[in-house]
Amino acid sequence: MNNQKPPYHELETKMKEAEELIHALRTQQVDAIVGERHVMLVRLKQAEENLKSSRNQLRALASYLLSARENERAVIARELHDEFGQGLTSLQLGLSWISRKLTPGQKPLQEKIKSLSAATTNLMRSVKNIASELRPGVLDELGLVKTLKSEAREFEGHTGIHCRFKTNTAKAKFDRSAAVAIFRIVQAALTNVARHAQASRARIALMKRKNGLILTVADNGKGISRKLIHGHDSLGVTGMRERALALGGTFTLGALRSKGTILTVQIPLSRVITGVSR
Amino acid sequence: MKARKREKRRTAKPVRETYFFRLFVAGNESNSSQARRNLARICEEHIKGHHKIDVVDVLKDVSNAHKNNVLVTPTLILIKPVPKVTVLGNLNDTKQVLAALRLNGDER
Repeated sequence: MNNQKPPYHELETKMKEAEELIHALRTQQVDAIVGERHVMLVRLKQAEENLKSSRNQLRALASYLLSARENERAVIARELHDEFGQGLTSLQLGLSWISRKLTPGQKPLQEKIKSLSAATTNLMRSVKNIASELRPGVLDELGLVKTLKSEAREFEGHTGIHCRFKTNTAKAKFDRSAAVAIFRIVQAALTNVARHAQASRARIALMKRKNGLILTVADNGKGISRKLIHGHDSLGVTGMRERALALGGTFTLGALRSKGTILTVQIPLSRVITGVSR
Repeated sequence: MKARKREKRRTAKPVRETYFFRLFVAGNESNSSQARRNLARICEEHIKGHHKIDVVDVLKDVSNAHKNNVLVTPTLILIKPVPKVTVLGNLNDTKQVLAALRLNGDER
């Protein structure tokens, strides 16, 4: 009996030592590992802190850049609308004034004025489109839900891809910057669907749930590769991810089990809907 | 018989014998520095004047670490009084360290 005691105690001690070692490693209390030939320094704690702080800095910078870009876009849209819009309107009025002054005998001149007037009208439409692309005025006028509805309709009109929009947030009041971010994410996602998915159907859903506001954009196209999801060169995806993270949310992009791609953004309600406490 | 002797030693009044520690550190790395400070404080508070600390920097003297089977730093070994005790980590958890070094009786 006594003969068996020492090995058992030895084993118990070894187990205790192993547990202690695991604990020290887990709680990051280890500075160096002493190997057979080398001493390897482990600066886990410091490295982790550095990484965390770099990440936070990057996130703050990305968030700042996004809001700066949004502000800049608003300024350009206003300038375009005010300066070009008004200038083109005066041009149009001037052309119609000249047209009225022309005699029936000056037909070639009348034709020229007519074509110039048509060109001006086209230009005015383009300016309006560019301005609304830069700063969706409907977002301010109609709110997020109606804007998304109209975006889905327009997308269907432009691309021929059947697009459906579903929501249970029709009465919710959205925070302005959050609404812009969600709108931009949907815009970018739809652009990707049009460019890469080769889909015939797309659906957008903006649903209020207990765990936050869930935005999904899905299509029945060819799907997406892992490389594209995590690649640093996919700027569109990076931009969408940054917008979601700036709102304290999460962003996932993946292939649907059936067919196609699904993008999901989950944002805390307190950051999106006004009047919801944190 | 042996067990009774051990029991007697544990419950006996703190004997003012010299505690001999060997602390293995890696230069001035964060946990190593903390371990140095914590050990000095614990000794000062509980066995003032009755201790000896031998600090071994494994970056300078790795063979000593090998000899003592030290795998990571910081590692504290209580060499005397026997039985020998090994404590890993930065020694921040004073309560646990005192218990491991059989010094918790002094706290009362």
